[in-house]
Amino acid sequence: MTNIIEARSVYKKVALGNENELHILRDVNLDIEEGEFVSVMGPSGSGKSTLLYNISGMDRISSGSVKFKGREISSMKEEELAELRLKNMGFIFQDINLLKNLSLIDNVLFPALVSKDADKNAVYEKAKKLMEMTGIEKVADHTITQGSGGQLQRVGICRALINNPDIIFGDEPTGALDSKSTEEIMTILAEINKKGTTVMLVTHDVKVAAKTERILFMVDGIIVAQKKMSKYNEQHDNIKKREESIMKWLVENGF
Amino acid sequence: MFLKIVKNDFLRNKIVSITVFVFITMSVILAASAINNIANLIQSMSALQERAVPADITMMHAGEYDQAEIDQFTEQYRDYIAMQETMVLQNIDGSNIHFGQNQTLAGTIQDISFIVQNQKFDFILDLDNEKLDVKEGFVAVPIYFMEQHDLKIGDTIKLKSGRYEREFVISDYARDFEMNSSLTSSKRFVINQNDYDEMLEMRAGELEYLIEFKLDENGDAAAVQTAYNEAGLPANGPIIEGKIFTLFNAMSDMAVAIVIIFISSLLIVIATLCIRLTFLATIDEDIREIGIMKAMGIPKKDIKKVYLNKYRVISAAAGLIGYLMSFAAVNLLNSNMRLYLSSDFSGSLKYVLSLIAPLLVYFMIVMYCQKILKRIDKISAVEALRRDFTEPGKSRKYSFSLLKNKFISTNIYIGLRDVGKRYKLYRLLFVIFIVCTFIVILPLNIFNTMNSPEFSTYMGIGKSDMRIDLRRTDRITEDFKKLQEELKNDNDVEKFATYITSSYPVQNAEGSWDYLNIETGDFSEFPLKYLEGRAPEREGEISLSFANAGKDGLNKKVGEEVTVRVGGEEQTLSVTGIYQDITNGGKTAKANTSLGVNKEAILWYIVSMDMAPGVDKRMKMDYYQSTYDSAQVNDIKEYTYQTLGNLIEQMSTVVIGGIAIALIIAVLITSLFLRMLLSKDMSQIAIMRSVGLTSKQISHQYMAGTMMVLVVGIILGVLVSNYLGEFLVSTAISYMGAAKIEFVDIIWQTWLLCPLALMIAVGLTIFECCKVAEKDDLSVVLRS
Repeated sequence: MTNIIEARSVYKKVALGNENELHILRDVNLDIEEGEFVSVMGPSGSGKSTLLYNISGMDRISSGSVKFKGREISSMKEEELAELRLKNMGFIFQDINLLKNLSLIDNVLFPALVSKDADKNAVYEKAKKLMEMTGIEKVADHTITQGSGGQLQRVGICRALINNPDIIFGDEPTGALDSKSTEEIMTILAEINKKGTTVMLVTHDVKVAAKTERILFMVDGIIVAQKKMSKYNEQHDNIKKREESIMKWLVENGF
Repeated sequence: MFLKIVKNDFLRNKIVSITVFVFITMSVILAASAINNIANLIQSMSALQERAVPADITMMHAGEYDQAEIDQFTEQYRDYIAMQETMVLQNIDGSNIHFGQNQTLAGTIQDISFIVQNQKFDFILDLDNEKLDVKEGFVAVPIYFMEQHDLKIGDTIKLKSGRYEREFVISDYARDFEMNSSLTSSKRFVINQNDYDEMLEMRAGELEYLIEFKLDENGDAAAVQTAYNEAGLPANGPIIEGKIFTLFNAMSDMAVAIVIIFISSLLIVIATLCIRLTFLATIDEDIREIGIMKAMGIPKKDIKKVYLNKYRVISAAAGLIGYLMSFAAVNLLNSNMRLYLSSDFSGSLKYVLSLIAPLLVYFMIVMYCQKILKRIDKISAVEALRRDFTEPGKSRKYSFSLLKNKFISTNIYIGLRDVGKRYKLYRLLFVIFIVCTFIVILPLNIFNTMNSPEFSTYMGIGKSDMRIDLRRTDRITEDFKKLQEELKNDNDVEKFATYITSSYPVQNAEGSWDYLNIETGDFSEFPLKYLEGRAPEREGEISLSFANAGKDGLNKKVGEEVTVRVGGEEQTLSVTGIYQDITNGGKTAKANTSLGVNKEAILWYIVSMDMAPGVDKRMKMDYYQSTYDSAQVNDIKEYTYQTLGNLIEQMSTVVIGGIAIALIIAVLITSLFLRMLLSKDMSQIAIMRSVGLTSKQISHQYMAGTMMVLVVGIILGVLVSNYLGEFLVSTAISYMGAAKIEFVDIIWQTWLLCPLALMIAVGLTIFECCKVAEKDDLSVVLRS
C-alpha cells in the first residue's frame, strides 16, 4: 500500500505575545495509507484538530514536512493548495459550515461548478445520487435555515464527496449530532471508505472511533499511542467489544 | 464604564468611526460657515444700506428733461417722497477708457458713467463704508472693474473722447450699493466736481439722468411710480425699484451659501449612510450581544444607550470641532462679500446663528440612530441568541439557483446573485453611486447648456451668427439707418433682421398703466423657440416673455388680449405665444413691426445676422465695431457669456469640484463598504476557501457584484440628472424667466467620459479592496 500522507517532524507554534510561544504540535510523524480509515482521539486542547488542519494544508505548519501523494504541500502556493482542496480533498466540519445563501443542493454543487471544466448535467446527476445515498434528496431545494443538524451534516458530506476526493478529513463531524444521526453518518462514512476513499476523523466519541481501523491518541501535541484494528465489518464484528477494547487502551494511555 | 464602552466600540470599528466623525465635522464646518456667511450678509447689507442710503425708485432717462417739473411733482407727493435728487451721468464708451499697457475697457457689456457724489442720498462709499470724497485728478473705480482688470490704487486711467483727454489716478475703490453687482449692467466711476465740470464742458460723454426718489418709511413705491408715469414726466429708460439692488447685491453670496448648505446636507446623508453601514455590518454580532444583555435582564433603554452613546459622543465632538473650525473656514467663502459689501464682520449674530448647524446635525444623527435601534425592541432574548436573526428561517422561495446560470462563470454569477440576495446592504452603495453620478453630471449639463449657442433661446433671442446692439447715444437712430443700408449691400451677410425695442405704456392686471419694453421687428428670420404658441406675425399680435405672462406680470395666457398705448391711442393686441427670457428682469414682449415705434422712448436697436459661408466672422465683427461707435458687436456665444457674467466660469469650477467630490466620496464609501462586507463575510469566505476556491476567485465574486451596482448606479444617476435635474433647474430658474430649460446633453461626456472616470476610480478601489487576506490560518476563522 502507498501512503497518501507522510508527515515528518511537524511542529506548529503560535505566538502568545511577550515573546512566548505555544507549541500545539510537537515532532509529529505520521503516515496514512491510501484507503485507510483513521481516527484521532485525545483530551481537549491536545492538538487533534490542529493536526488535521496542518496535514491537510488548510493551515501552514511551522516546521517539518508534509507530503500528499508524494508532493510536499508545506511549500505550495495558495493556488496549488486550493486546487488540492478542490480536487483531492474533502472536509467535513463540526459546525457544518455551509454557505448561507445557497440551497442544500447548490451547496453540494458549488465546489464542482467552480471547476472550469465542469459538465453541469453530469455534476447534477452526481449530486442527486449522493443526496439519495445520504437520504436527503427530498430536502435538496431547501435553504440551510430549513434543514436539521443531521440533514445539514449530510449535505456537508455530499459536498466533500462531489469532486471524488482521495481523502476526506472530518473535524468532529458528529460532535453536534444526536446518537441516531451519529450512527447514520458513520455508516455513510464507512460506506465511502469501503469504496476506496481514505477517511481521517477527529473525535471524542469511542463509538465513532470503534468504526475506524486505526486510532491515534494525542496528548499535548504529541501522538503518544496508536491502536491498529481490522476494518470494521458490520456482519462479523461485535461493535461493543471493539468499543470496550478502545476504552481499555485509552485508559492504559492515561485518558 | 460609560466611556470604556464607547472607547471599545470606537476601537472595534475604528475606520468607520473616524469616517463618520470626519463627515460630521466637515458637514458642520460647511453648514456653520454658510449660516455664518448669511448672518454676515444680513448684517453687512443693512450696514451698507444705512451708509449708502440707496434710492427707492430710480427713473433712467436720456434726452431732454425739465428739473422744475420734477420738483413740482416732488412737492405734490411730499407725503410719500422724502427726498429727490437727479444724478447726471456722463456715459463714456469702454473703448475710450485706457489703462495699463494699451488696454481699454472695450468689449465690456457694462455701461460706464462718470459722476460726482450725490448731496442727499444714494452715496457711493469707499471700502471702509465712508462716503467717497475724491480729490481733483483722482478717480474712484467700481470694485467690479478693479477685480476684472486688476486695477490698483495709484494706477492711472486715461479718458480719450473726442477732444477730451485726461489722466486720472485711482485713489479709491467705489462700493456702490445700487450698481455693485455684475448683474446690474451699469457702473459708476466717481470723480471730483471740477474734473466733472470740465468733462461736461468738453462734451466728453453722452448724458443720462438718474431721477432718484427716496421715500418716507410708509411711502408706496408703486403709487409714486404710477403717479410719475401718469404725470408724463421723463422716463424713457428702465424704472428700477430699490429692492432689486438689495436682491442683486445678495444674490451671488446667497447662491454660494445655498450651494454650500446643499453640499453639507449631502455630507450628513453620507455620514448617516456610514452609520447605517456599520449597523448592518455588525448587526449579527451585535444582536447576539444584545441577546446576552437582554437575557441578563438589562432594560432595553440601557442597551440602546450603550449603542447610542458612541454616536452621541462622535456627533457632539465633531459638532463642536466643526463649529469652531467654521469660523476659520468662513474666510474662504466671504472674500466676495468683504470686497463688495463690508470689511467689518464684527457682529455677534453669527455666533448664535451658526450654532444651529452643530445642534441640528447632532439631533439628526441621534434620531437616525434611534430609528435603527428600534429593532432592539422587536427581538426577544431567545431570538437574538438563536442563529441568524437577519436571515430568519421563513419559508422564503429560493431563487437564482446555481444551475440556472448557463452563460457566465459560477463565481461571477455568485457575485451578481449576492446583490439580489442582499439588496438591502448593496442599496446603500447603489444610492451613493447615483448621488455621485448626479453630482458630476448635473453641473456638467448646466455648464454645457449655458455654454452652448442654444442658450440664446432662454435669453429671448433666436439663433444667429452675430448680433449688433445700438444703445444709448443721440446718434443711434442715424447709425441704425446707416447700418441697415450697409448690411443690405454687404454680400458677406447672408441674411439679417432688425429689431427696435421701445417702452410703451401697457395696462396691467389691475387696470393701471405700466411701462413695458416691447421689441418690434420681423421674427421669422431668426426664429425663437416658443414655450407655447408662436411668434407675432401680423398686426394686432404680441408675444410675452414667461415672467411677463405670469402672475407677477400681466397675468395673460395665449389667446388673451393686452392693451397698449401707442402714439396716444389704445391698441388691443392678442397674445400669440410665450417665450423664455432671462434678460431685463425677465419681463419683455415682442410685437410685429406694424405696431409702430414709440419714438419718444426708443431704448435700443438690435440687428441679428448670419454670415455667408466662408466669411471670417471675427473680421466682420471687427469691421462693424470700428465703423459704428455706438455699436456693440458680439457673436451670440460671446453675448451669452458676457451677460451671464462669470457664472459660466463659476459653473466650470463647480463641474471640476463636483467631479473631485464625487470621486472622493465614491472611492471612500466603496472602500469602506467593501472592508465591512469582507469582514462581515469572513466566515463565508473561509468556507469557500476550505472547499477549494482561491482568494482570487472569491475576489472576483465581490468585484462582479460591486461593479454591477456601480454600472447600474451610474446609468440611473445619468438618467436622474438628465430628467429630474432638468426639472429641478427649470423650477429654480423659472423665477428668472425661463420655465423650461432643456439640457444640452453632450453624449460622449455624460455617457462616456464621466461614467468612465467614475468606473476607473471605483473599479480600482474595488480591485484593491476585494483582495482577500490569505495570511491567517484558515482553521482560525472556521473554528471561531
